[in-house]
Amino acid sequence: MSNYKKTVGIEVHCELKTKTKMFSNTLNNYGAKENSQVNTIDLAYPGSLPLVNKGAINLALKAALILNCKINKLVCFDRKNYFYPDLPKGYQITQARHPIGVDGYVMINVGGIDKKVRIHDIHIEEDTAKSIHQTDKSYLDFNRSGVPLIEIVTEADMHTEEEAMAYLTKLRELFVYADISDCKMEEGSMRCDVNVSISKDDTLGVRTETKNIGSISSVGKAITAESIRQEEILENGGVIVEETRRFDEKDCKTILMRVKETGNDYRYFPEPNIPEFEITDDEINSVKSEIPKLPDELRSEYRTLGVNENNIKTLISNRELCSFFEKVKEFDPIITSNLITGDILSYLNKNNLSLKDIKLNEDNLKELVKKIKNSEISSKQVKTLLPILMEKGGNVEDIMKEHGMVQISDDSALQTIVDKVISTNPESVNDYKNGKDRALKYLMGQIMKESRGQANPVTVNKLLIETLNK
Amino acid sequence: MSKYLDLSIRELHELLVSGKIKPKDLVLEAFDKLENSDLNAFITVCKDEALKRAEELENADKSSMLYGIPIAIKDNINTKGIRTTCASHMLENFVPFEDAFVIDKVNEAGMIIVGKTNMDEFAMGSTSQTSYFGAPKNPWDKTRIAGGSSGGSASVVAGLLAPIALGSDTGGSIRQPASYCGIVGMKPTYGRISRRGLIAFGSSLDQIGPMTKNVYDNALVLNSLVGYDEFDLTSSNREAEDFTRLIGEDIKGMKIAVPNYFISDIVDSEIKENVLSVCELLKENGATVDFIDIKHLEHAVTLYQIIAMGEASSNLARFDGVRFGYSADSNSVDELYAKTRAEGFGSEVKRRIMVGSYLLSGDNAKEYYTKALQVRNSMKESFDEAFKKYDLIIGPTTTTVAYHLGEGMDDVRKTFLDDVLVIPVNMAGLPGLNIPIGFNHEHMPIGLHIIGNRFEEAKMYKLGSFIEKELNLDLKVKEENHE
Repeated sequence: MSNYKKTVGIEVHCELKTKTKMFSNTLNNYGAKENSQVNTIDLAYPGSLPLVNKGAINLALKAALILNCKINKLVCFDRKNYFYPDLPKGYQITQARHPIGVDGYVMINVGGIDKKVRIHDIHIEEDTAKSIHQTDKSYLDFNRSGVPLIEIVTEADMHTEEEAMAYLTKLRELFVYADISDCKMEEGSMRCDVNVSISKDDTLGVRTETKNIGSISSVGKAITAESIRQEEILENGGVIVEETRRFDEKDCKTILMRVKETGNDYRYFPEPNIPEFEITDDEINSVKSEIPKLPDELRSEYRTLGVNENNIKTLISNRELCSFFEKVKEFDPIITSNLITGDILSYLNKNNLSLKDIKLNEDNLKELVKKIKNSEISSKQVKTLLPILMEKGGNVEDIMKEHGMVQISDDSALQTIVDKVISTNPESVNDYKNGKDRALKYLMGQIMKESRGQANPVTVNKLLIETLNK
Repeated sequence: MSKYLDLSIRELHELLVSGKIKPKDLVLEAFDKLENSDLNAFITVCKDEALKRAEELENADKSSMLYGIPIAIKDNINTKGIRTTCASHMLENFVPFEDAFVIDKVNEAGMIIVGKTNMDEFAMGSTSQTSYFGAPKNPWDKTRIAGGSSGGSASVVAGLLAPIALGSDTGGSIRQPASYCGIVGMKPTYGRISRRGLIAFGSSLDQIGPMTKNVYDNALVLNSLVGYDEFDLTSSNREAEDFTRLIGEDIKGMKIAVPNYFISDIVDSEIKENVLSVCELLKENGATVDFIDIKHLEHAVTLYQIIAMGEASSNLARFDGVRFGYSADSNSVDELYAKTRAEGFGSEVKRRIMVGSYLLSGDNAKEYYTKALQVRNSMKESFDEAFKKYDLIIGPTTTTVAYHLGEGMDDVRKTFLDDVLVIPVNMAGLPGLNIPIGFNHEHMPIGLHIIGNRFEEAKMYKLGSFIEKELNLDLKVKEENHE
């Protein structure tokens, strides 16, 4: 066990889910043909001037509210100057002086213990173009140039891999639920830079920054690898140098990119082309009202409704399923959650589909839940009926009729079966009379079998007990 | 010989509307003159386009006062399909594929673009001598500078090559050459005219404006150039107004202020005399003239160096050889940047980029840039105070008349000091107008600088027009100087 304590701070960049770019009217269209989503602003042609995407401001504001930040109502932008081929203007427009949100926090839970991760600030900026390097040439795709980003900077509040991963999972969960960002790390719409330092006491060690880690689990691995590397250096009498590193997934090691010299000189100054403006309280309230129920609230609500933890976890981790569940849960949350996280999800997974690809809708699922709750359909019949609903859709009642799933609820018809089963199973009848509950279940099973699953179990139960007690 | 181009726009308009002349006649005369001109006022001329447009206009609606009038455009304003060089090797072959907002306005008003005018490289200079294409000359004395950075535009109008030119003004670049060349030049209120399509120098200071032979023409052209542009966030959204509307009104009761610094020893005595005699004229006609102090005027050049160069160092970072403009052969990205910028930019531009970068670097940003913004704000407030009491502020536009070509190039500070009287207006976002008020002993023009409160251009034109009428100067360059 190491004597060193790790300290971790994280910077996350998220692309905002907007229709257009941050400072131009070009579409924010991931996956489009290279250099097809560009105009003179995105390419920094001489004479071009930036616009401001109010939708992006509102999404960033929403993010800041969700992260419990103090809101800077004064919106203004700054230029961060540096040369790089993916930066067409030679500067990035960002918020250096007045980030839209400051002093926020996110609650995480690791090993059953709640912990607060403080947010230093959240600010708005623009993405760079994408460089594609090949052996002898580099290519630039400017589609990404100017895509709205928010950068979320934490305080150095995390001390384990688990905490870092829990923070990122939580951040992603929040942004996906609030429709702020797709947060797809594989597509680069969420990117993480991790600052790690180690120390034997309460003073902070020298930190290094590991950039652009590809997944949340890799963030955990990178922290482990980087803290081991630092420990080896310190244990061998060396010193840690402030530097920028990257994580090699294959070797599970961090690799030096560049040593930070005397601090980068970005020559920040206020962006003169964008006059500062104020966000009004009305605007803030309107954005607040758009914030949907967030995972923590949903979790506690589902617990109160009696949904089991596994189902809750599955629902929350799949936003599409969860919002579907929200719409259909009213009648019986437990049955509904079992159906959604059980048969429905496994069907979707098996066929690599999402909810919008299948025919099942709110109405027929609600109808099905009602039938299950009223014991008008057996679990065996559900297994037959659900795939039909998902593939072809339609009315539950009609499908049941069509497939001979109509229940026998007629007392006289059922009484005949009950009488027959009682007469052929004298031993069980005897057991029942001697107080053995299992016997009742056995008899029920026999009746259901006799009726080929079409007997209404509620009615059968009632008739059986009545007959036995005669 | 001028047939028509020495006439005022109103006179030309009457001839055009009555059908006595066609737009083509004006275009042909303009090209006849500019093709035989040795003023080096143009970088690019567009004869074919202009003739084609003149023909198209023959059957068009003639109600616009500017219908059929030739205009020259400073070469830092984007013109679709016509190369826009900023007088730089960097953009020597740059052809924009969008028109600037003002070009749309010029076209809507029925004007005909005849060419792109010479200027200081990227508008950085006060003499137009930093042009990659050589300096334009002053029509009053071709051994002298036309001023800068809109020197070509001033030379075009004074030389009667076209009745109108557009200039841009970051620290006096319309008013100073207008003064040197004896013409009328207006830098409107910041935000009055969209900057979209103007290749940026100092974005918080840049403003496009009209340069003309007389005040009324200038107001007419300004009428056509203004208007809200939703694609320039600094564009002002105001109700339309007629800038000629106060011209001809009595100036009785107007309250005029002259900042003491503007008539201090930094100004040539002949110029000072001319300005003071205008003050007397105004008083005789019922205006009051007070001498006042405006804060920080003496720091104008320093402010300009810090703010304009800081912004310029960032604005010019996009010229990296990757997407447009000059691109040097190279083996690596770093070499591409270094060679492209070393070879593509002239020495004055490089000097300003380096100074600007230095001023924004590390702690310097706080020490210089942030402080400069504070001083700028304080100067602006001081102007605001003055405008509570006064209608207009006047003074000389320049400290000297146009000097000889080649002078001042070895003394960088000198060319900046030329602009000490005009820079404060950009710093405060105010409108500033130059009108000719006389000549010195060498018969070089002297200009009066009229400064208005924000969006009060009409009032400035009123005073300018009054003085113009009272002085009734002969502002026509003698033809023998022109050959």
